[in-house]
Amino acid sequence: MIPFREIVVADFEFTALPGERPVPVCLVAHELRSGRRFRIFEDQFGPLPPYVTGPDVLFVGFYCSAELGCYRVLRWPMPERVLDPFVEFRNLTNGLPTPAGANLLGALTYFGLDTTGVAENKKEMQEAIGNGTWRGRFTPGEILDYCEGDVIALTRLLLVMLLRIDLPRALLRGRYMAAAAAMEHNGVPIDMDMLECLRLNWTAIQDQLIAAIDCDYGVFDGRTFKLERFAKYLSAAGIPWPRLESGQLDLSDDTFRQMARAYPQVAPLHELRSSLAELRLNDLAVGHDGRNRVILSAFRARSSRNAPSNTRFIFGPSVWLRGLIKPPVGCAICYIDWKQQEFGIAAALSGDPTMQAAYRSGDCYLAFAKQARAVPADATKETYGTQRELYKQCGLAVLYGIGAGGLALRVGQPRIVARNLLQAHHDTYRIFWGWSDAALDTAMLTGSLHTVFGWQIQIGERPNPRSLRNFPMQANGAEMMRLAACLAIERAVEVCAPIHDAFLICAPFDRLEEHIVTMRAAMAEASRIVLGGFELGTDVSITRWPDRYMDPRGAVMWERVTSLLPQRLRATA
Amino acid sequence: MTTNSNPNTVAEMQSTTDQQASTADPFNPTNLRLSQSFVETAGIRKLLTNVPVRKPSPQDFVRVHPDPAYRENFPIIELKDEREEYIVVADLVPLLIGEFVTKTLFTAINRQGTVFFWPVRLPSPEGKNLDWWRSSREAAELAMKSWIRVRANMNLGAYDIFQAESVISDPEWPQLGFWELIKIAFRDHLIDRLDHPVIKRLRGQL
Repeated sequence: MIPFREIVVADFEFTALPGERPVPVCLVAHELRSGRRFRIFEDQFGPLPPYVTGPDVLFVGFYCSAELGCYRVLRWPMPERVLDPFVEFRNLTNGLPTPAGANLLGALTYFGLDTTGVAENKKEMQEAIGNGTWRGRFTPGEILDYCEGDVIALTRLLLVMLLRIDLPRALLRGRYMAAAAAMEHNGVPIDMDMLECLRLNWTAIQDQLIAAIDCDYGVFDGRTFKLERFAKYLSAAGIPWPRLESGQLDLSDDTFRQMARAYPQVAPLHELRSSLAELRLNDLAVGHDGRNRVILSAFRARSSRNAPSNTRFIFGPSVWLRGLIKPPVGCAICYIDWKQQEFGIAAALSGDPTMQAAYRSGDCYLAFAKQARAVPADATKETYGTQRELYKQCGLAVLYGIGAGGLALRVGQPRIVARNLLQAHHDTYRIFWGWSDAALDTAMLTGSLHTVFGWQIQIGERPNPRSLRNFPMQANGAEMMRLAACLAIERAVEVCAPIHDAFLICAPFDRLEEHIVTMRAAMAEASRIVLGGFELGTDVSITRWPDRYMDPRGAVMWERVTSLLPQRLRATA
Repeated sequence: MTTNSNPNTVAEMQSTTDQQASTADPFNPTNLRLSQSFVETAGIRKLLTNVPVRKPSPQDFVRVHPDPAYRENFPIIELKDEREEYIVVADLVPLLIGEFVTKTLFTAINRQGTVFFWPVRLPSPEGKNLDWWRSSREAAELAMKSWIRVRANMNLGAYDIFQAESVISDPEWPQLGFWELIKIAFRDHLIDRLDHPVIKRLRGQL
């Protein structure tokens, strides 16, 4: 039985324009034990929720970072116990097909429940509320009824799902939805002047970019990338490019990224291609206050990581565009990431002391090379940089289950070098490999794997051994991210965004140090809890106003793009 | 949970969180952690079902088990065309003089972790000790301490022995004992009766 005095099932309707905070239109909530119903329209929102709050009240919302985003806008205190049936449905079916999707309708359909009142005739109203054009088209009563339909349907779903939910861990996941709401609320500060300038000039810039970059390659015809010219370039440059089964050159973004790593001379071309293909500056969701806000799509990935829209999120498109991130006046932004998070997780969870020693050395990749006796004990990053890079690529890729062929491509070396690197990893980290084999065996025997907090993946009909081996690192990494986000946000850090194994935070100059300390402590604490006491270190990169943030990988491209802006506008860059 | 609206209460919030952590809050993450010890939970062990009997391949670096309990001399009939080795049981040895030779079976392993028996001829009763046999035995003995590989040198009439210069970690030997390994390797290669197909073939009875 659920140990709560009250259970509140709630749903907001709200207007959500790109990049802006939500504007609550109405709230409907049902308290399940007493049967009380709450129907509040936009002009009736008070300083507190209409129902009781506290640790003995369970708040239930479907994908409720949206609901909790409305809480933030209304300045209501966050509910202390949050259960999100969307997240639990994702957890229950992760790795399995969900024929009708993972939204409310999809979850009801999955369990064979009545879907009445959820989707019928709602598209028009949903769009009208979402874009703020509902006034004069729909009455408050109609909108409240529409909203209540979802509450009733959600209650139906909840009653069926409760038997399948691991409540304490479900509440930990629900807790993250409040943190996600905070990050969506805060957003990433953007240099609006520069964004506007790029938007206005982007068409002209694209042509000039092609001209400037393609002079080294000769592969474009106008704005068209010509395959045969690229083949000719590769042949002249002696680059062994992967091919598809059809025999054609593989031009996927993944391959380009991988090849750009092994053959840096291809990197500008990769950056140009992704800029031309993916970059739609108008899609970048920036609010009137200069903050990039997107739905983080928490728990959408199989690993349970966030999966925000690539085109709307500033950390999605080409890395050079991150130069648009700029702290507000009097503030700084800090990019704080865990040091070699995946390596650390693998070392800690596998219990491999050699791997743990490598992590604790501060440079796990150089340590790996030393442990494999490929470099002398006194080698440094400076004296054995090339060897370190080989062992780094191996150490990273091996966690994704890469084979000799893939690793050879990644490091731009013959297959035998890759095989030796993989062998060295097996020889050096035997306990890790035993654990990794056992993880795969467990998945194949029991049909699923789970993280330290119970996020699970079902192996499904066509299990992918590489993906299953990688699951403990990725999914426990996601657990660590979520817990750190909760701890930091609950301790009043302004977290702007989560980025894979990092956070971007913003703070005024006079509180900067304090917030960095708090954020790093939260990340350290989260790593200890997830890894059973093993602590991962963090790195900090600070950008103070009036400087702009810059990802080193995108610095050259940023310079190149901004140099193409009209002379009078370059000063802002 | 608290909001992030008042940074002045950081210390207070920290204290509150710590207090919560110290109590037996069923929703505290420290009390929710599930084990990731798949090695214990999976309960899987690798079964050794094949143990080849062969010389090391010319490219393979190998080690030989240094424990004397992991080598033994056997009367062996070798079918050269098939490259197959058969052990003759003790009862049949007096009846098959001249058909078998005596070899030491060394337990060996390569870098890929494949365990195999490396058969090495003993000198003949007449004292004949070809350089092939002698160099093979020297290599096997050297392989008890370091990774080596052997390659036939036809000009020399013996094996060249190459020792790995870099320090490579010791191999991980299987848990099985020598006689269990022998059973696996020779389960279909044991001559225990005179009407065994191999004996019949040698006697032209097939």
